[in-house]
Amino acid sequence: MNVIECNELAKSFGKVAALSNLSLAIEPEKITGIIGPNGAGKTTFLKIISGFLAPSAGEIKVFAENPFNSLLVSVNAINLDDSMPLPAAMPLADILDAAGAFYPGWDGGLAKRLLAYFEINPMATYPALSRGKKSTFTSILGIAARCPLTMFDEPTTGMDAAVRKDFYRALLKDYLQHPRTILLSSHLLNEIQDILEDVLLINAGTKVLHQPIAELKEYAVGLRGRAAEVSRLAAASQVIRKESFGKDSIYAVVVRSEGIRERAAAAGVETAPVPAADLCVYLTAGNKGGIDDVFSQN
Amino acid sequence: MFFSDSLKPIYLQIAEWLETEILAGNFAVDEKVYSQYQLAQMYNINPATAARGLNILAEEGILYKKRGLGMFVAPGAMELVRKRRRQDILRQLVVELVGEADRLGVTDAELAGLIAAIRREKEEGQE
Repeated sequence: MNVIECNELAKSFGKVAALSNLSLAIEPEKITGIIGPNGAGKTTFLKIISGFLAPSAGEIKVFAENPFNSLLVSVNAINLDDSMPLPAAMPLADILDAAGAFYPGWDGGLAKRLLAYFEINPMATYPALSRGKKSTFTSILGIAARCPLTMFDEPTTGMDAAVRKDFYRALLKDYLQHPRTILLSSHLLNEIQDILEDVLLINAGTKVLHQPIAELKEYAVGLRGRAAEVSRLAAASQVIRKESFGKDSIYAVVVRSEGIRERAAAAGVETAPVPAADLCVYLTAGNKGGIDDVFSQN
Repeated sequence: MFFSDSLKPIYLQIAEWLETEILAGNFAVDEKVYSQYQLAQMYNINPATAARGLNILAEEGILYKKRGLGMFVAPGAMELVRKRRRQDILRQLVVELVGEADRLGVTDAELAGLIAAIRREKEEGQE
């Protein structure tokens, strides 16, 4: 059974549509990366899944239930983001105890060990923490809660490189021992791609693609060579991106088709895999072109 | 993780690394190889990605599955790996080598001389 199912889901804030016509299903015990540019609707989607917001239209089921006002979803799901309304006057240790009283799978020992490892004082209060430590604390909360559905919304904001690395490793290790459904939103696919199984790419409030990361990495191919040859090859394929460089060269990203590498080699055009993170940027860039276009107009 | 620096899919890198381990004799015939969970832990990757790497080797007959027990090195695995690598990887490397030699106007004889020189250097380095 799918953990999350939504059908033509939409959410508007006044006249602004944050989500529209979003239909998808998330299978259990997978780590899915929710990728998209700023303002794509990632946070709104996670808030609807966790029952913080009601949809404006369409249907959403989490554990086969409408998540809005659902105790079942509250107990089995946790959504960590930097706007969590954690009590300002409570020491962090007490917040962890309160979480332990609520979440059935809570591992208090793990939470304490992670807190000590990341050098966070359990007697400190949440507002007194630096931005990076705030993110670290909510991430610890998210790992130790062991919820069957665990959502991290931009979890590494403000963390330094070493802490990010440790956090992803801690998350993966705990997942290997206690498999669960994890959604990880980020605008940086590079940083999380190794631990993902699936990628959900959203843009302007709707789904661009949803597939295993392994397939995403082979979805497109980069062609580089003389403009005439590359253009001829690209004409037969779906072009995702095209940029010219050098005197007479073009780099084009096209949807991979059968035999494209052989045809390119025969035409003297180089082929290269397209990094998944770059592909996501290209697929969500729309028709506005690249940053170079802004400069080429003056 | 060093894996991310390469554009080659991680599951292929995992498969190649296991092949190299088999070629080096680090796994004997009928010996159990790492599970998808061990590989995930070792390389900081999703276990589904690790499983994909293992499955490729199983499809090629280099590993075999024992239900509920894991993956084991198949008889003749070393020969299979050697044969396939000669066909695919070595051939591809030579294609690239020849391409660069052509761009530089290096003849076949010069190329062969270069290979012989590098081999001598390598042997001297080992002594």
